[in-house]
Formats: sequence, C-alpha cells, structure tokens
Amino acid sequence: MVRCAEATPCRTLCNVIELKHLTKRYGATLAVDDLSFSVRPGLVTGFLGPNGAGKSTTMRLILGLCAPTSGEALVNGRRYASLRRPVHEVGALLDANAVHGSRSAYDHLLCLARTNGIGPRRVTEALERVGLTGVARRPVGGFSLGMKQRLGIAAALLGDPGVLIFDEPVNGLDPDGVRWIRDLMRTLAAQGRTILLSSHLMSEMALTADHIVIVGKGRLIAEATVAELTARYPTLEDAYLTLTASSVEYGAGRS
Amino acid sequence: MRDVLSAEWLKFRSVRSSRLTVLLALGGVLLGAGLAQMAAGMYDSASPAQQARASVAELEEVVLMLPLLALGVLGVLAMTSEYATGLIRSSFTMVPRRWPVLTAKAAVVGLIGLVTGPAVVFGTHVVCRWIIGDRFGGLYQTPFTDKLPLLAAFALTVPAFALLGLGLGTILRSTAGAIALLVGLVYVIPMIVSKFPAPWDEWLGSVMIIALPRQISGDFTTPGIYGTSLPPWAAAGLLAAYALLPVLAGLWLLRRRDV
Repeated sequence: MVRCAEATPCRTLCNVIELKHLTKRYGATLAVDDLSFSVRPGLVTGFLGPNGAGKSTTMRLILGLCAPTSGEALVNGRRYASLRRPVHEVGALLDANAVHGSRSAYDHLLCLARTNGIGPRRVTEALERVGLTGVARRPVGGFSLGMKQRLGIAAALLGDPGVLIFDEPVNGLDPDGVRWIRDLMRTLAAQGRTILLSSHLMSEMALTADHIVIVGKGRLIAEATVAELTARYPTLEDAYLTLTASSVEYGAGRS
Repeated sequence: MRDVLSAEWLKFRSVRSSRLTVLLALGGVLLGAGLAQMAAGMYDSASPAQQARASVAELEEVVLMLPLLALGVLGVLAMTSEYATGLIRSSFTMVPRRWPVLTAKAAVVGLIGLVTGPAVVFGTHVVCRWIIGDRFGGLYQTPFTDKLPLLAAFALTVPAFALLGLGLGTILRSTAGAIALLVGLVYVIPMIVSKFPAPWDEWLGSVMIIALPRQISGDFTTPGIYGTSLPPWAAAGLLAAYALLPVLAGLWLLRRRDV
C-alpha cells in the first residue's frame, strides 16, 4: 500500500484526501457527523452508504462547494477552496445531469476547460478517451445518462489530475460502459492517482475497489480493505448490509 | 480572470437561446417600424385640424420594453440556468474563488446589453425619422444632437437592466422568481405607484427604473407618465445603483452560500 508520510515535503505532491472531524449540519440534521478518514493514492477507494448517509455532502465538502460546520477536508494538504487552478489537482464528477441541454459536448467541456487555461486540444483528447468523439458536436440534451456519465468523466479528466472523485458514475451505463469504468478506475489508480468512488452496486464495487469506506447517518461505520471485508463476510454486499443495518434511513424492513 | 471571461463568453455563445434573446431584443426595431408606419398612416388619413393636434409617443421609449425584458431575462438566465441544471457546481469546482464567475458573467451580459441597447434605440430612431418624416409637427425632425442625450439614456438602460437581471438571478437563484421581479419592476410597480396619492406618486414614480432615462437627459418632450423630480446626476446614479447593487450583493452571497 502506498502511504503518505505525515508532514514530509512530499506532502503537497502526493495525492491524498484527508477528512478531519468533518461535520456538516443543516438545521437540526447532521448530514456529516465528525467524519475522519483519508483516501490514499494508488488505490480505488469505494465510498459506500445508504441513501442519505452523507456521501454526496461529503464530496461537496471536499470540493469546497459547501462549508463545513466544523472540522476540515484537505486535498494534498490544502483546502480545496484555496486552489487557483484546481483542475490539474482534482477532477470530479458529481452529477452527470448537471449540463445545459442545448450546449454541445465539445462546447460544454471547452467552457469548463477554459476556466483553468486548458485549450481545445485537451478537450478533444478527453472526448476521445471517453468515446464521445462521434457525438462531440451534438447537444448534450439528447444524450443518454450513460453518455452524460462519460461526458462527466471527460470533464474530470481534463486537467490530468492526481485526485479523482466520482459520485455514482456507473449509473445508467450499459454493460460495456460498466466494464469500461471499472478498467478506467483500475488504470487511473495504477498510475498512482487517488480515486474516491461512490456507488450502490456492491458486486461492481467488489471488482473495482481496493479500499472501502462505509458511512451511515453521516458517521464513519467501517474503513477496511475489500479483502478484509470479504474475509469476514461471505460477500461485500453481505458486509455492507450487515454493517449499515442500523443506519438505513429510507428503506423497507430487512428480514 | 481572463480564462474565466473567455469561458463565460463561450457559455453565452454556445447556447441557442442567447442568440434568440438578442434577436428578440433587436426585433424592437421592427416593432418601432411597424408602430411608426401605423402612426404615419393614421396621421395621413386625419383631417388637417386633427393633424395639427396630433402627437405621437416617442417610439424609442415604447419599443424599449422589448430589449429591456429580453436582456433582463438573458441576465437572469446567465445565472439561474446554472443553478437549475446543477452546472453551477461544476463552475464553482473549476473556479473555487467563485467571484470571477459572476464578474465574468457581468462583463459578458453587460457587453451584450451595451451593444444591443444602442442598436435597438438608435435603429428605431433612424427608422422612425425615415417613416414619420415631417409628420406630427416635425417631432422626428429635431436635430439628432438634440435627441442624443435622451436616446443614449434609453440605450444605457438596457445594459443596466441586463445587470439587474443577473444580480437578481444570483440573489434569488430561481428563474421564475427573478423574472417575476424584473417584470414587476418594469410594469407592475410603476403602475401601482402612479396610482398613489400625491406627492407619493411623483416621488416614487421618479425612482422607477423606466422613469430614469428622461430624468438623466432632462428631455421631457413627451410628458413623462412617471415622476420627474430627480436631477440628472441623481437619476444617473440611481440607474448605476439598479445595475450594480444587486450584482454586488450577489458577489457577497455567492461566497457564503453552499451549492
């Protein structure tokens, strides 16, 4: 396992996400409750939890979109909001549907790229990498969810960042696409990048992730390697269901 | 900042609705031509006695509503469409300091208004001069330089209104809410205010955004239906305040709000 030594000069270079007592309160509800863990390079870290567990909020906190009530989230030792051209350090896909329907895929990416001084050549490469070259000039509104996921991944890869955050990128993809994402995640991790990946598909996660972080009701429930979890439980799914049994907020009763 | 500006320019250019909105605003010239044609026709079919008494509203002012609302909506949508789609998260992820995004949008929207406004106002003026000629006691034959201050003030209301739309869109984050407020500011509130008892109708009428161009230019050829109590400098300052204060409030809120 690649480990990042604490407080060494390499710290700003090595790709790591650190959450320290991260807490986010919305009125009376604690969306994220004293969450501490780190996401290390060279691995795919699966981020699991029931609906409403605070996964998306945590990702938004990491990306500086929300301000924490207390605690902090650091990327490469710094608060995300302090990054000037973040796209070279962190890439993220939060919501594949967050696009303007009448803009073409190419223009959508170029709009994002330009903010960080990235030119059209890199946009073309990113579109090629996710297999959208043929539809680059078409309005995004006509894309299937799977195609939008690919577009979102292209956006995350624009700046060739060392840290990548994906919120349920597998949703809506066909079997080809699911396989493609899995291989992409493995490849990106093998290049030494840090991958934080949320998904509800346990069997897929078992194939893709090395490390698992499970949250429920905003709190950390478990942090372990996939190997550790599958050694203790029959499958990753069993591990997940057992560990989150007490923190499912929305769901039919389990027998 | 230059990077963000070029990104926002592309955002504006790459959506079809932007072009349609600008076209709609420019359609004000056609509307002006149509109204001038109608006025000229009515004038020609009237008796000499009626002609002597006939007058016509300054059509640049009538037509102004179109570019005002079109550009106001353009300003609103520049921000609220990003909130509606969720694209705002990508925008702020790319530019964590956030303020350059709104500043760049203000530059783009303001520039489009600064081009469209004069195009419609001066375009309408030229067309009216040509169509109406010496009718209505030579209303459209006054030297152009005499009319310039009023026309320029009309034209400048358009970029101001576009920025107002952007500011309201940023504050409210809702397309419907911001557009309702804009329409209210142009149509509804001035109408209500004009029914107030004196002297309130005059005072409040004077601070309505569409009452400002006449007060800025001091040109009251056609009697204004709103108040006229502001000196030119105060009216100009108020127009700037309409344009800039909501954007500044938006900048302040933008940094503090979760998205």
